[in-house]
Amino acid sequence: MHGPIKKINTKLLNMSDRSIVWAFTLPTLILLVFINIYPLIWTIYLSFTDFKANRPGRVIHWVGMKWYEKALTNGDVWGYMQTTAHFVVWTILIQAALGFGLSLLLNRKFKGNEVLTTIVILPMMLSPAVVGVFWKYIYQPQAGIFDYIINVFHHFGSFSMLSNVSLAPWSIIVVDTWMWTPFIMLLCLAGLRSIPGYIYEAAEVDGASKWQQFIHITFPSVLPFLMLAVLFRGIENFKMFDMVNELTGGGPGSITEVASIYLKRAAFEKWRTGDSSAFAVILFVCVLGAGMIYVKILNKLKET
Amino acid sequence: MSTTYDTSRSPLEPSRNSKRVAAFLIILYIIITSIPILFIASTAFKTDEDAMSYPPKILFEPSLEGFVNLVTRRSRQSKDFLKSLPPPKTWYEKIVRERQMVIVGPSRFLGRFGNSLIIGFGATFFSIFFGTLAAYAFSRFKIPLKDDLLFFILSTRMFPPVAAAIPIFLMYRYLGLNDTHLGMIILYTTVNLSLSVWLLKGFIDEIPKEYEEAALVDGYSRLHTFIKIILPQAATGIAATAIFCLIFSWNEYAFAVLLTFRQAQTLPPFIPTIIGEGGLDWPAVAAGTLIFIVPVIIFTILLRKHLVRGITFGAVRK
Repeated sequence: MHGPIKKINTKLLNMSDRSIVWAFTLPTLILLVFINIYPLIWTIYLSFTDFKANRPGRVIHWVGMKWYEKALTNGDVWGYMQTTAHFVVWTILIQAALGFGLSLLLNRKFKGNEVLTTIVILPMMLSPAVVGVFWKYIYQPQAGIFDYIINVFHHFGSFSMLSNVSLAPWSIIVVDTWMWTPFIMLLCLAGLRSIPGYIYEAAEVDGASKWQQFIHITFPSVLPFLMLAVLFRGIENFKMFDMVNELTGGGPGSITEVASIYLKRAAFEKWRTGDSSAFAVILFVCVLGAGMIYVKILNKLKET
Repeated sequence: MSTTYDTSRSPLEPSRNSKRVAAFLIILYIIITSIPILFIASTAFKTDEDAMSYPPKILFEPSLEGFVNLVTRRSRQSKDFLKSLPPPKTWYEKIVRERQMVIVGPSRFLGRFGNSLIIGFGATFFSIFFGTLAAYAFSRFKIPLKDDLLFFILSTRMFPPVAAAIPIFLMYRYLGLNDTHLGMIILYTTVNLSLSVWLLKGFIDEIPKEYEEAALVDGYSRLHTFIKIILPQAATGIAATAIFCLIFSWNEYAFAVLLTFRQAQTLPPFIPTIIGEGGLDWPAVAAGTLIFIVPVIIFTILLRKHLVRGITFGAVRK
């Protein structure tokens, strides 16, 4: 190496701990502030005004808590929250049970399980929007394969998952489960493989039954991983937009109109910017609050 | 203690029967969940009529019409006009001609595909780069309010993109970043950072501190130990995280549909808009989907070893 370059290199290599902390964290924090915090603050500001994004030149008036009062007293808004909660709770429950079960099976280390793991995770590599549009085709009563297969097992005749009021909420749960169960499985598998073998050996020596080993060793070790997976899926599904937008677009009527679909309709179709901003802030506060409690519990679990 | 079980294997090793049952159940799960994927793949090679027939056709004459429709724009012509043309020179012209149409030009598909490659891989690179640095700092140094900062990083994921899109649109318009590759790369990098910092911190936490301490005693600088010890040790975790980041930025839809229009539009908002003469052109949509997932699958297969080792990383520490 030549003189000056070497000088710079040694200078860089001898960075103090303090400057390393700054240099390493600052880019991330700056990006997060610009792309995440700034829009959030702006949205909070807009939620107190009568700004309309399609009329940027207009004078902006301060309207106080008007949009919040409207959102919290409006029955429709509660309906969207309930639709979202139904979607989040059922997808999480089904996926957690299935994903954990699959990880236990894949951890049996049978021949070829690594190849099978890769095949199992295939659906989660697809684009949710593309998955949504494609399941619309799969669900089609005339040409889709879903009706056809269901009818092989039990003859219901022609039915439409997407236009039936009681089936439509389940149509999005089926697709989300199909797509994201592998994600929970993957994190649980990581948890299972992090359990050192000697713990089971010791339990075996102590005469613990397989069931006792599962309750006292396997489950507690996997729980933090399972909870982390549930946290990520919960956050994602709370703001679920792409798959549902392409699959049902919120329909029939507004049966599958989850929070983000309502936001899009209010913000980009009706151009009620203040209104939709207030709803977004309420939504954010709900998820943030739930997330905080959840992470506290998670950290307590990790300590024990 | 008298051993009642087969001594030829360790007590930890599952019995042969339980392995068989496990393998059977996993294969059953794969068969059920792969039906939609196989259905997509087969539709890509169907004609429009075959794609819309009921019961769904399992055996059919394969056709490349979907792929041709995907990458071309066509226009319907009168029979007389078609007769006046010289015979079709290429196989794809022939397919189009049979539908009483001529090719007018290429569709936007390839351009959108290029955008997806630039934005998807660009954002993955930067979120891994910045994410590794931040994760290392959070893992190894005393940072005031560390837990709060980490939760703050996670909380940036909780704001719905549909709501964030309006302020970002207004900000990007001011900065001239709307509908640009750079703007989308910055956006996706940031959205991914929360995931990459959290995952990578987990992986780096698992690397024993003793390795570094030994190196520091030997006179290595901090940065040197980061490059020489942490990076190689964390390679598997980095690869696994890269797969997750690519999957997100490759497939992102909400921001793409709201913030890009012509120049920087990626494939997820484009594929659902491929329309034929009677609504969506299903074979072309399927063909587009099939081409679209190829890069992610290649990337995952290339890093597959790391993915499997990456998720078993925790086992290394003991």
